[in-house]
Amino acid sequence: MKSSRTAQRAAVAHSRLAAPRRSRSVEAHGADHAPRSTRIEVLVVDDHPAVRWGLVQLLSEQPDLHVAAVATTAEIALAQAQHQHTDVAIVDYCLGGHNGLWVARKLKALERAPRVVIFSAYANDHLAASCAVAGADALISKSSLGDDVCHAIRSVWRGRRMIPRVHHATTGTLRDRLDNDRERMVFGMLLAGISDEQIARTLRLGARELAATRAEMLAKLEALPARPA
Amino acid sequence: MSLRTGPSHPALAKRHRYLPLFARIVLANLAVLGAACLVVFVALAPNRISELAADEVLVVTLCLVTLVNVVIVRRIVLPLQRLTALARGLDPAAPRERFPGAAAASEAGDLAQTFNEMLDRLERERAESARSVLAAHEAERMRVAQELHDEVGQTLTAVLLQLSRVQHRMAPHPAPELGEAQETVRASLEDVRRIASELRPETLADLGLASALESLSDTFSRRTEIDVHRHIEGDLPALTREAELAAYRIAQEALTNVARHARSASADLALTKNHSGVVRRVRDYGAGVRNGTHHAGNGIRGMRERAGAVGARLQIGAAPDGRGSEVRLELPAGSRA
Repeated sequence: MKSSRTAQRAAVAHSRLAAPRRSRSVEAHGADHAPRSTRIEVLVVDDHPAVRWGLVQLLSEQPDLHVAAVATTAEIALAQAQHQHTDVAIVDYCLGGHNGLWVARKLKALERAPRVVIFSAYANDHLAASCAVAGADALISKSSLGDDVCHAIRSVWRGRRMIPRVHHATTGTLRDRLDNDRERMVFGMLLAGISDEQIARTLRLGARELAATRAEMLAKLEALPARPA
Repeated sequence: MSLRTGPSHPALAKRHRYLPLFARIVLANLAVLGAACLVVFVALAPNRISELAADEVLVVTLCLVTLVNVVIVRRIVLPLQRLTALARGLDPAAPRERFPGAAAASEAGDLAQTFNEMLDRLERERAESARSVLAAHEAERMRVAQELHDEVGQTLTAVLLQLSRVQHRMAPHPAPELGEAQETVRASLEDVRRIASELRPETLADLGLASALESLSDTFSRRTEIDVHRHIEGDLPALTREAELAAYRIAQEALTNVARHARSASADLALTKNHSGVVRRVRDYGAGVRNGTHHAGNGIRGMRERAGAVGARLQIGAAPDGRGSEVRLELPAGSRA
């Protein structure tokens, strides 16, 4: 009895989540009555139905969190964030097509940029460094408990940065992939958690220039290392 | 029959660099006989020849002919015998064993050269087939790792999120079993991740061999409590993706063997340069390899195949100082074979 009911509920949720354009109806099960101003509006981006469903359910039950939108791909996520006010986006790293870091970079370029939490099964050093470069605010493992996920969302909303420390050997390997001093400097500063404004001021870069540098750096960091053919 | 098809064969069509054995024997015999005739007819003169002298000339000529034939035939047969002995003792597992004297201008030299060419072809063929088998293996491993990550891992994450919800609903008195269930799911998520990354070493693809070996030895130490002392040089020559994968997989296998058989509390893992490429060594301080028995294992055969497929040299044996064993792999820089 119970299991069939759960399955039914899951099926309803799936059909709802499978059509992200209609996902504003998600509000229906955000059954809390906290005043809108204190609620954190969350965008959930994950291509796996069960994880997406689990996240939406979990976040919906938190009185201070509200699932504003749900997306299954990078492009839909970006469109959602443009149309819907979002405070924090929780983004799976492995999406079909563009990955979570692409989403992070694009979201950060928006006028009212949301905070970005990258949610990944492979929360390793390499990804942590790439997250810092993409401008994500947090990297959490997919083996985190639900409480830790909620905590991360609240923390980044308050302005905390939760990128794990990168091992210096990895930093070295990755820095070697950057081919000019400016990129290497920006890389070091981003890993140290220095804010964009400060980096821009220190290196006398425009915001747009810094964004372009980040995109180039990310391409180099994420590209597989060159090897002889 | 074979003579008719013979000249069209490229190897036979090639001109000999030396006088064939048959011609040498005939010519030498003719020369000796000619000399004997000269002695008889010119030096001794036919009218002065006595019965005795004729016998002596005949005996001396025969002796000389035999001697010349023995010398010429021996020069051919000795290398042939050596070649036979070498061919019999050839270790198919040890690559790059070649016959010496292939450059000598003689039938034996030709044979040795042909033999070496055949060994080259065989080795190439074997490396080629090993390479395709290994590529198929790797593709299969990738697929399994991907499935593990995409299906099992994601589902476990979803379960973890659901358990958190249940815990919230039961607050402030959640059942203690709930916490245990969460820990169990987390542990199995970690297992899935570990197995997936053993199957598909993503660090290798992302960060290269040095980082991958570091993380391999870290994981190994954590799991087996065997200390791994690393010595990884910076600025190593670039290797092909296949060579890196071979080095990684052989290190993985060697460490597994250390944990299984060596009964050693520590191991060394080194990655250094040499004149032609990179040397990767794994050694332990344990029971060591008993000579002759290390050919049997499947793991070791797999290591040899991997090494052969990328043109690397693999040596497995006792460590230089006699304590424990060592697996040494020499990888040529940049090239495949």
